[in-house]
Amino acid sequence: MADTLTDFVSEDYLQEFEGKYNAEKQNGVPSDDTTFHYAWCLVRSKLLTDVRKGVMFLEQLVKKTSVEQHHKRDYLYYLAVGNARLKEYATALKYIKSLLQLEPGNRQAQELEKAIKKSMESDAIKGVAIAGGGVLLAGALVGLGMSLLKK
Amino acid sequence: MSGGPYNYSYIFKYIIIGDMGVGKSCLLHQFTEKKFMADCPHTIGVEFGTRIIEVCGQKIKLQIWDTAGQERFRAVTRSYYRGAAGALIIYDITRRSTYNHLSSWLTDARNLTNPNTVIFLIGNKSDLDGQRDVTYEEAKKFADENGLKFVEASAKTGENVEEAFLETAKKIYESIQDGSLDLNAAESGVQKKPTANGARSLSADNAEGRNPSSCSC
Repeated sequence: MADTLTDFVSEDYLQEFEGKYNAEKQNGVPSDDTTFHYAWCLVRSKLLTDVRKGVMFLEQLVKKTSVEQHHKRDYLYYLAVGNARLKEYATALKYIKSLLQLEPGNRQAQELEKAIKKSMESDAIKGVAIAGGGVLLAGALVGLGMSLLKK
Repeated sequence: MSGGPYNYSYIFKYIIIGDMGVGKSCLLHQFTEKKFMADCPHTIGVEFGTRIIEVCGQKIKLQIWDTAGQERFRAVTRSYYRGAAGALIIYDITRRSTYNHLSSWLTDARNLTNPNTVIFLIGNKSDLDGQRDVTYEEAKKFADENGLKFVEASAKTGENVEEAFLETAKKIYESIQDGSLDLNAAESGVQKKPTANGARSLSADNAEGRNPSSCSC
């Protein structure tokens, strides 16, 4: 089971909302709600290509939504989720900041901000470990080369 | 943390559903933080909370999905119902419309969860008795007719909040004990974790507690 950043949508739901979106698209421009529902499922997909597509839809929605419209908060929140999943942490934090400007003290946004920072730190530690491993490997290769040269 | 023994034996998934503004997030916050949130903004999509509780001597981690009540989210929040072992349906005792919508929430809960899912009805804001719009008796009758557990609770004072969450867990645990809830089913909403004191298997649990009424709590 999961939390906000690691909860995945099931395949059948993703398909259901994709179907609705495509049906509306055939008859013109899909409604904002349909687009949002589809995007919300996409950012919860296991496939990063889906997440990217969801982020793109949300970016389009947020662009055409003025600050006064209350839907803006929803788009900003899921843009933060989507970007965090893509490990675009700086962008994710930027969206959370915009949301907190609209609603200072929103605890749900603050919690997500914490989760993103935690995920960012754990990735950084892994990154150091991989880089460290790389250095060790390079050292081993140099050592091997030297021993071969001696022979 | 990963790979080590868990300090709980089971994970139960809960969902919290009901109309906008009935206090779903406040109930969750009161349960996980033991604090009342005044002026809580409407939930965006779905929020998540956890707490480890103890039922019949077993440590259980509750993973609680708190869904937004706004209609525009409802199509997608339905995708969170699946695999819930417990469903808390909330209405506001001071707003009749939130009570009138219960059958629609109940239909969703029944259709989208499994037959063993424990459904608990909570009438929130019991501290506002002076503004009451739904009587206790009426709601109790609705709950009985539909086979639901029911309490009136207050996220503000904390009255009955603990009880509702724990009672739900106890019922789920009883279904595990009497074998009616199949842990191997993909959508049971329950996961068994090996415990620190050497993985006690479920069959061992069953053998000990053959009769659910022997459970002392």
